[in-house]
Amino acid sequence: MNWQAVLTSMLPEHLLLAGIVLLIVLDLVSDRPRGALAVAFVAVAAAAVAALTLALDGYMAAPFAGQFSVNPPTLIAKAIVLALVLPVLLLSRDDFADLRFHLLLLSSLYGVCLMLSADSFLTLFLGLELMSLPVYVLVLFAFQRPDSPEAALKYLVLGGAATATFLMGVSLLYGGTGSLALTAFGRALGSSNAMAQAAVVLIVVAFFLKAAIVPFHAWAPDAYEGASVPVTAYMATVIKAGVLLAAARLFATTPVGRPMADMLAILPLASMIWGNLAAIKQTSFRRMIAYSSIAHAGYLFFAFLGAGAGRLQAVLFYLLAYGVMNLLAFASLPRNGDDVAGDRITSLKGLYGRRPFAALMLGLSMLSLAGIPPLPGFVAKFLIFKNVIAAGYTVYAVLGLVASYLGIYFYLRVIQYAFMGEAAAETGPQRRLALSASVICLVPAMLLAVFPGWFIERL
Amino acid sequence: MAELLNIVLFLPLAGMLAIALLPAGRDALVRQLSLAVMVVQFVLTVVLYVNFDGSVAGLQFESRVPWIPGWGVYYQIGLDGMNVLLVLLTAFLGPLVVAGAFSAITKDVKLFYAMVFFIQFAMMGTFVAQDLFLFYVFWETMLIPMFLIIGIWGGERRIYATLKFVLYTAFGSILMLAALIYLVWTLQSTTGVVSFAFADLYQVRLPLPAQTLLLGAFALSFAIKVPMFPLHTWLPDAHVEAPTAGSVILAGVLLKMGTYGFLKLGFPLFPDATREFTPLLMGLSVISIVVGACLALVQTDIKKIIAYSSISHLGYVMLGLLSLDLIGIQGAIIQMVSHGLTAAGLFLMVGMIYERCHTRDIAHYGGLAKILPVYSVFFMILTLAAIGLPTTSGFTGEFLVLLGAFNAAWPIYQAGDAFPLTMAVGAVTGVVLGAMYMLWLAQRLLFGGTKAPHLPITDLNRRESSILAILVVAVFWLGLFPQEPMRKTELAARQYQQMVAGTPAGSKAAIGVAAPESIAARGSTR
Repeated sequence: MNWQAVLTSMLPEHLLLAGIVLLIVLDLVSDRPRGALAVAFVAVAAAAVAALTLALDGYMAAPFAGQFSVNPPTLIAKAIVLALVLPVLLLSRDDFADLRFHLLLLSSLYGVCLMLSADSFLTLFLGLELMSLPVYVLVLFAFQRPDSPEAALKYLVLGGAATATFLMGVSLLYGGTGSLALTAFGRALGSSNAMAQAAVVLIVVAFFLKAAIVPFHAWAPDAYEGASVPVTAYMATVIKAGVLLAAARLFATTPVGRPMADMLAILPLASMIWGNLAAIKQTSFRRMIAYSSIAHAGYLFFAFLGAGAGRLQAVLFYLLAYGVMNLLAFASLPRNGDDVAGDRITSLKGLYGRRPFAALMLGLSMLSLAGIPPLPGFVAKFLIFKNVIAAGYTVYAVLGLVASYLGIYFYLRVIQYAFMGEAAAETGPQRRLALSASVICLVPAMLLAVFPGWFIERL
Repeated sequence: MAELLNIVLFLPLAGMLAIALLPAGRDALVRQLSLAVMVVQFVLTVVLYVNFDGSVAGLQFESRVPWIPGWGVYYQIGLDGMNVLLVLLTAFLGPLVVAGAFSAITKDVKLFYAMVFFIQFAMMGTFVAQDLFLFYVFWETMLIPMFLIIGIWGGERRIYATLKFVLYTAFGSILMLAALIYLVWTLQSTTGVVSFAFADLYQVRLPLPAQTLLLGAFALSFAIKVPMFPLHTWLPDAHVEAPTAGSVILAGVLLKMGTYGFLKLGFPLFPDATREFTPLLMGLSVISIVVGACLALVQTDIKKIIAYSSISHLGYVMLGLLSLDLIGIQGAIIQMVSHGLTAAGLFLMVGMIYERCHTRDIAHYGGLAKILPVYSVFFMILTLAAIGLPTTSGFTGEFLVLLGAFNAAWPIYQAGDAFPLTMAVGAVTGVVLGAMYMLWLAQRLLFGGTKAPHLPITDLNRRESSILAILVVAVFWLGLFPQEPMRKTELAARQYQQMVAGTPAGSKAAIGVAAPESIAARGSTR
């Protein structure tokens, strides 16, 4: 084994692991450990920088041949996912004083990184589970809410169903092709063998479950609402990113044939429509974001209809724009967002009068999520639909765009409350590190809006 | 000189940032700074206008910088005969909007002026953009500030009105987005050219069915903005609920986006489909003219009358564009500017009386001529301009449009098709109806027994009368000296005619060739 390659290519993972170990040591030596946030932040930031540096060097290696490999696109994807966690960590300052949160978050993140480099279904499965298991616990961590245990259990059960479906699909694939390499999926995609096709459908369904695509979305609203703000933010952005990037790795550049393409179009289309419609009648902000994320998962899966070469780029750009803007919204929320009353959308009434900056940030993120130019969400959506039309699925693209129109209303409603309503009762103070979290999100958001070409060329 | 257009475009954005950085509570400073920036923008635009050479084809003051190189998207802006007058109009109304809101807006002043600058930037950008992607970005961006302007500073039903406005316009835009992606993709797959530039897209010649679908998508978006009957229902609500500044921007510039869209994109990009559907579009234009006028006739809210009159007046623009007659096209461009001036002025005047009496119900007013002489003089001048009295801008616009419509319709009538002629005659009835509702409004407001919600009312102050005086000067300038602006737009009108009619320049020749085609097309659909 080439230790040099193992050391270098897995540097982001190693840094995360170092953070995890340090956190455990911290827990052992001290009764009331402090500085957990700093340790976690530094570890994640260092991992992101490491991934980015390696990517810019054009580093390529396969330390565990057939299981784990890195190349610049993978490393950039890792860097983006890791960077998205930084604002999440800053948000956590007010909700989690002890280090269990950070420990679990870093473990889950390790799973995401593993998944993004997976070459075989074994590694992928390992990453997927490592990513998911800590999150079940994290959902439970919002003790202020009576419904957290229920949400966590629901998430756990449906997550387990996803795992089972995934394993079933993988075993069928193994039975049909005799291989556990990810490339077997691409071959099965093009094959007319019934067993291979069943395997493909099962694996895709598992991803649909994890990404909350209609009709496998039922866990998301409960889990998002039941969890605390940082955890919801983590699930909405990083978990979604991990699942979608793993799917991008799976689909790679394999052309998607007709019956499969219809499945890949119709269920995401249903997600867009149902997610956007159901979001309209929500009264809880995080539940609304959950339905919004269901719709966004739909747009993201549309990327796989496009031609192979542009898929990863489209998914990455979308995840970056979507993640940054979603986190910006979470950073604008008042601190008491965890109790049931504080999570009401109506509690945002008159936000502009009380905290103009938070209201403006919330407004920007809502407009971006709605896909209104000149915000980054627009270019992201444009990129995906451009690829879909270029691949010849014009009807799906038009339907998808009309579905995205359905979403405008509920995003605008948030702005309406924040800017046009009379001030509601004073809500809790601003989250303590929210300003820094906002800035971390705002800067890339502005860059994405003004220089989208620069990013697109480099993704 | 190309930098000058960039400066004009980005100046409002700079103004917005400057205002955002000012400390809270300095409202007076915010107002003065806003006015100063807008005046500078107008002066620079006048320099652009004066230096614009109408005898040169193509773009002037052009900038072209790669924006998203991989997609062939350029930051490409420039002036041509189609947008030069509208850019001037936008810059001209900017300071008036700002000054007009000095006393009306007292809540969240900073945010308000920031939003006015934001929309000014977006409107300017929509007009000068020469790249479809850039155009779309600016086009959609306009929704954001307008949503807030109506929603925050509007009247009682502002939330309903602003959501209606945004949801209406966004629906049109989303289909336009699909259409533009398809159009660009077609260009790329047929010629290998990856470009969003208008100039390149004009070269795409799609088969008729595809053209029809794409024109449908673009036209829906533009027709909602114009607005054309039956897509006009958002307009009265938006106008009535919007603050005065919002109404002025909406009527003065925003509605022209729709007609400008048809002029610059909709019709030239899909000429075959346009000719195919000219009867339908012409019919809708004339219905807009007549229905808008009839609805204006029965309103009791002054603002609603002006709002419905906008629908009617923009119908003329559409008619002029569809006539494909050089005079008609030029008339349409003049009419856009003219309506921008008169409607802006009338909305400002409604705002001024509303600030004093807090009602817009005509029944509460009467005989204002005796108690508010200055106000009444200005109101009368703008009323007469709106109904198209000679020497005012309204006359130039409407007369040229009608002349163009008859010019184009006559040979077709002689060839045996009376439809265009009927439409032209129908449009003339709009002039009569227009005179009716405007003069009746003026009569009820200004003459008769003195009546007002409360007395005494103060007449216009210096700020208000200066704003109106400037507007009136512009109205007469366009009415008395239309040759100068028409010279600047003539070449562009010819190009438009050529692109849509598919024939070389020359008014008569254009009709001669275009007419049999459209008759044949109509015959086949019967």
